Amino acid sequence: MTDLSPNVRGAGYTVRPSLAAQAGRYWMPGGAILIIVAVLAVFAVLSPLFLTLGNLGNVLQQTAVIGILAIGLTLVLIGGGAHSLTGGIDLSIAANLGLCAAVYAVLLRQGYVSGLAMLGTLLTGVALGLLNAAAVVWLRILPLLATLTTMNIAIGLEMVITQNAPVPATGALLDLLISAGPLAIPWLSWAFALAALLFIVLAHFTRFGLRLQAVGGYPLAARAAGVAVFRYVALSYVLCGLCAGIAALASVAVLSGSSPGSNDNLLMVIAAALLGVVFSRRLVPTIGGTLISGLFLTLIANGFQLINISSYWINGVEGVLILLVVSLTAQLRRRQQRRKVSV
Amino acid sequence: MFEITAPATPAKNGYGNLLRVVMAATFLALLLFFTLYAPGFATLSNVESVLLNNVAPLAIASLAITVVAVLGAVDLSIGTAIDFACLVLVTLILHKTGLTLAVTAALLAALGVGLFNAFLVVVLGVEPFLATLGTLFIGQSVQQLSSNGGQPIYLLSQALPPSFSAIGHGTLLGIALPLWYVLLLAVALHQLLQRTGYGRAFSVLGAQASVARYSGLPVPRLTAAAFVLSSLIAGVVGLMLASNVKAWVPLSGNAYLLNAIGAAFIGATFSASRRPNVPGTLLGVGLLSFVANGLLLIGWSFYWQQVATGVLIFIVLAVGALRGRSQL
Repeated sequence: MTDLSPNVRGAGYTVRPSLAAQAGRYWMPGGAILIIVAVLAVFAVLSPLFLTLGNLGNVLQQTAVIGILAIGLTLVLIGGGAHSLTGGIDLSIAANLGLCAAVYAVLLRQGYVSGLAMLGTLLTGVALGLLNAAAVVWLRILPLLATLTTMNIAIGLEMVITQNAPVPATGALLDLLISAGPLAIPWLSWAFALAALLFIVLAHFTRFGLRLQAVGGYPLAARAAGVAVFRYVALSYVLCGLCAGIAALASVAVLSGSSPGSNDNLLMVIAAALLGVVFSRRLVPTIGGTLISGLFLTLIANGFQLINISSYWINGVEGVLILLVVSLTAQLRRRQQRRKVSV
Repeated sequence: MFEITAPATPAKNGYGNLLRVVMAATFLALLLFFTLYAPGFATLSNVESVLLNNVAPLAIASLAITVVAVLGAVDLSIGTAIDFACLVLVTLILHKTGLTLAVTAALLAALGVGLFNAFLVVVLGVEPFLATLGTLFIGQSVQQLSSNGGQPIYLLSQALPPSFSAIGHGTLLGIALPLWYVLLLAVALHQLLQRTGYGRAFSVLGAQASVARYSGLPVPRLTAAAFVLSSLIAGVVGLMLASNVKAWVPLSGNAYLLNAIGAAFIGATFSASRRPNVPGTLLGVGLLSFVANGLLLIGWSFYWQQVATGVLIFIVLAVGALRGRSQL
């Protein structure tokens, strides 16, 4: 879209709230939460195991990897703006996770101490994030194309490191993460909750976060206000890479090592970050919304397993959900823009 | 409409032309290097086999990407169209359906993918990237469900109609049929894009979306046509795959996606107009295929090839982006 208009995401704040804006404000989050509750109720009725503390702790642990990746992607979406093609996207994030997990497992196997291995893992994630940032901000390659390419590079490097075979890993930290902590919930779940909280604060309650939102929402205004737009966009990609590194630690703990095929997570991560938009009043990506939808997607997968529906449905269900949400928001935005023009 | 490439500006800038020459020289140097150091690289049989096995399917997949890229969009679901066409053809042949009917049905399956994309993009107003990503997800689910989670369907033990094998292995005037498909599709598409009003409208829409809209071009119809055409062309790859492998392997079409996108953008980078175009795409396909083949022959593992291909496409994208900036 060669629009000179701002990167409109929920233009309700410029005019009296339109019907569409109100729908965005109240109906969509409300409706979405109703749907989630209804789906969970169905699962709870069909499987007595579903609502047990053990299962829910399990779900939280399963969400950790997807959730942290989705947080990273959400930061990129916030900083890059809503436009899906020229806007921010990081397709390399799941492949980056795989590469980081491979680095971690291989470093541990080589006998490096846990701290050094962790540092190496996080640095790997950050390095790929820097590559993405350089490609997008400095070279101005479209994020979609740039990260599609780095995705392939990361997959290739992972295969080179691991010879495309699983690498088992053990360590005191890994054992601790999957052992049960308070309330019989694994420490990994607690660590995930803490990380999620930190990222929510970072993205929504700090100067950095607010500026990042400004950069994504209305780059021209942000630049006019003196914000170093490119630096913030670059930082969002680097943070996204860091998230991949953190998620890799969780993934190695859950799987007791690294295993090929991490890129399969990409679909679910994108789905979580995109669906999260529904939970914000202005239909923008938020960390909280992403976490809710990530949890929801894991619950669906978990519920399908418990009531014996083939897991092959999951991709399709995610695809349909994404298309529903995206087309709904597209319609709402269209109406809002039309209204703005008429005002 | 969706600006994936820079607006058409003729490369008057000397720096831009210099970069093109440097890129071309680098690729020629690579080919020369392989000729000298990769055993068997420059032999007729190797070139034939690369043309037939690597270039032909990738070229057709890349043409499918090019159709949509001319419009300034991207189609991530060509793999789905490839797989669906392959699945339908293999299933129908397994059930002894006539070849003509089976091929028609297979192409219709691919067409269905395109129609679904067109519906999402044009009617629902979903961005092409997200729409085709959704199609990709749904396509994966459909394939997993119809294959019990990824069991291939083999035709090996069947008595196959000879015309079925001919799709991938036949020759005409001493040239393999798949190369004829590439030639026919490329020429037809090039003519369509360059010589017809319809094709020019595609380019205008891709280069200057608002101009296209204000001059009254039927934007929705053009967009829909591009996505349908893209899937239909991708369906041809599915037919070749079915005939070559004599099996349907779920989710095998996605393997072409990155290279096809890469080839289309290498083509755009090399062309003077910096827009995706058919000859450029074919050039990109040739480079990617022969570089991968050369790396294989000098003994690089498949894993390193993947890294190298990624780096190669990255460099080309970077050079293209730098050229774009130098012209601003």
